Amino acid sequence: MKLKILPKSQRKHNHYLVLDIKSEIELSKNDFTSIVWDGCIRFQGENNTSNFNLWTIKLIKSDEISFLNEYKAILRCQRDFEDEVRSSLALIHNVNRKRISITCIGISGTIKGCQKFI
Amino acid sequence: MFDLNIRGSSYDSNFRLAFEASKYGWKHINFSYNQNEFDDAMIFFDGLKNDLKDYIAIDYTLNIKSNNPHEIRKITRRYRDDASCISLTGGNLKINRDCVENIQIDVLSRPYFKRHDSGLNHILAREARDNNVAVELVFCDVLHSYLSHRSKILSNFRDTYQLYRKYEFPLILSSGAKSVYDIKTVSDFKAFFTQSGLSESEVDKSFKTSENILNFNKNRKNLILKGVRVVD
Repeated sequence: MKLKILPKSQRKHNHYLVLDIKSEIELSKNDFTSIVWDGCIRFQGENNTSNFNLWTIKLIKSDEISFLNEYKAILRCQRDFEDEVRSSLALIHNVNRKRISITCIGISGTIKGCQKFI
Repeated sequence: MFDLNIRGSSYDSNFRLAFEASKYGWKHINFSYNQNEFDDAMIFFDGLKNDLKDYIAIDYTLNIKSNNPHEIRKITRRYRDDASCISLTGGNLKINRDCVENIQIDVLSRPYFKRHDSGLNHILAREARDNNVAVELVFCDVLHSYLSHRSKILSNFRDTYQLYRKYEFPLILSSGAKSVYDIKTVSDFKAFFTQSGLSESEVDKSFKTSENILNFNKNRKNLILKGVRVVD
């Protein structure tokens, strides 16, 4: 049996981060999710990361012609923990010895609101 | 939004870095060169500044790397009028002390470099405040390290914050970016330093300090003595 959806007042409040990703290697959504979790657990620890309520909403490959792989992503995180997530993501610098850079270019309370940053 | 330490290299690389920085919300960046590269970099400075004038303001920082106090004084005197900011890479206690006592130097960069402590104590902190020498903490040192090494650098940062709160020497924060991968948005940069133990107002004050250093150096030629300046 499926659980009933919680009433609005009982749900967690989320914010959505719009991320700009530059990478030497191609990334899939799963790769990106594990990179984000690794980064957060490494910098903030397991206990703090459990508060973040992280979820990858979207990963979009950029159409711009560039010498590196560029992506935009929407990442869900819990309200009031944006700074913790941002700083953890900013400190990710390589994956399998290939360079990667993740920086947050926008923040919104709704997924629809994120569209203006992409 | 001032960043006084982005590693400079060729014209193309600098252009790409500056363009990326402007996209991420920076208003002014300084490319840093050491004493051996500074003269070569000055050749394309005007061209670069003109090409970037619509996007971002740029300047050059002379980053002195030497362990000889006599040589440091010589280099400082030679480049004082050409560079908008002069910084000295610390790490050696003798050099840290020499730097904070030298009024001609603007910034003591990375006093914790290759050390097990912050490289500063109450005496150096007081000297830095009296001689108006800023202490620079570099984001890239944390970015490119991991596990125990990273936590030791963060601990050194916290020791520096403690002295900063007590002695109120100028503190500046910079990215030390070498490539486009190292440049972050201003809000990410602020978020990291607030997480490491600074308050938001202290981070904003550090940007203001960077701006003050550049403004002070623009008028340095008119300075006769400490506190005395030709106005007209």
